[in-house]
Amino acid sequence: MNKKLLSIMVVVILVVGLGALYSQFLAPEAQEGEKEVTLEIVIEKEGIEETFVYQTDGEYLMELLEEHSEELELETEETSFGDMLVGFFGYRADDGANEFFKIVVDGEDAMVGAAELPLEDGSVYTIELDTF
Amino acid sequence: MKVRDLVLISLLSASLTAGKMALSFIPNVEIVTLLFMVYTITLGLKRTMVVAVIFATTEIFLYGFNTWVLAYYFVWPALIVGTHLASKAFSSEYSFAILAAVFGASFGFLFAVFESFFYGIAYGIAYWVRGIPFDIVHGGSNYVIAIILYKPLVRLFNQQIQAYNLKEID
Repeated sequence: MNKKLLSIMVVVILVVGLGALYSQFLAPEAQEGEKEVTLEIVIEKEGIEETFVYQTDGEYLMELLEEHSEELELETEETSFGDMLVGFFGYRADDGANEFFKIVVDGEDAMVGAAELPLEDGSVYTIELDTF
Repeated sequence: MKVRDLVLISLLSASLTAGKMALSFIPNVEIVTLLFMVYTITLGLKRTMVVAVIFATTEIFLYGFNTWVLAYYFVWPALIVGTHLASKAFSSEYSFAILAAVFGASFGFLFAVFESFFYGIAYGIAYWVRGIPFDIVHGGSNYVIAIILYKPLVRLFNQQIQAYNLKEID
C-alpha cells in the first residue's frame, strides 16, 4: 500500500482514538449553575440600580446577558466590532449625548467587550451608563 | 529590500488570508500552517517573518482587536522559526508533516498560554481543555494536508523562484 496513504490512515485512526479518549476522560460536563456571578445594572440618571445573582454555565458575559435578555430588557446593536450593549430596562444610551454602557469587573474597567469578557465564579459585573 | 520583494511579500500575505478564509467554514482545518512552512523553506526566514506580521495585522483589520489576534504575532513566527530549524536537520515531507501536526495539535495550548496572561491560569487551562477536540482535528488535518501538498508546493515554488530569480538575498 502507498506509504503516504497508510500514514494518513494511521493519523485518522489516531484522531478518532484521541477524540474518543477525550470524550471519555476529559470532556467538561456541563453542570447547571457551575458559576455564580453578580450582575449590576446602573443607570443613575433614571434612578435604576438593579442587582442580580445568577448561576450560569456561560463562558462570556454576553451569553449571560442573552440568557436573561427579557428580564434585563436588553437591547444590543450590531457593529463591525461585534454586538454592542445599547439599552437596559427600556433605557437606550443616547449617542447624541455621547452615552455608552461601561462594563466594570470587580471594580476595574473591562478592557474588552461583553462578548470577549469571560465569566468568572464569584465576580461582580457592573454595567453602568457613562459618557465619553 | 527590493521592490520585487515587496510585491512578493504582499502577494504571499494576501494568499494566506485568502487561503484561511476559503477554508474557514471547516473548524480547525486550514492551509495557513502549510503555506508558512513552504514559504519558509523556499523563500527564507526573513521574508516569511514579514509575511507573518502582515498576515497577523490583516487579521486585526478583519476581525477587530482581540487577545487571540495578538497571539498571532507569536505563534506564526514560532512556526516559521521551527520550520527553519527543522530544515537544517530534515528534508523529507514526513518530517514537515509531523511538524505541521504537532503545531496544529498544540495550537490551543499556545493560545491558552497567551490568554493566561490576560485572564489568569485557571481560565487558560479551561480554554485549553475545552479546545482539545479541535486541536486533535487541527493536528490530524495539518498532517494530511502537509503530506499531500508539501512536496508539490515546494517543487512549484522552487520552479517559480528560479524562473523569476527570487532567491533570497539576506
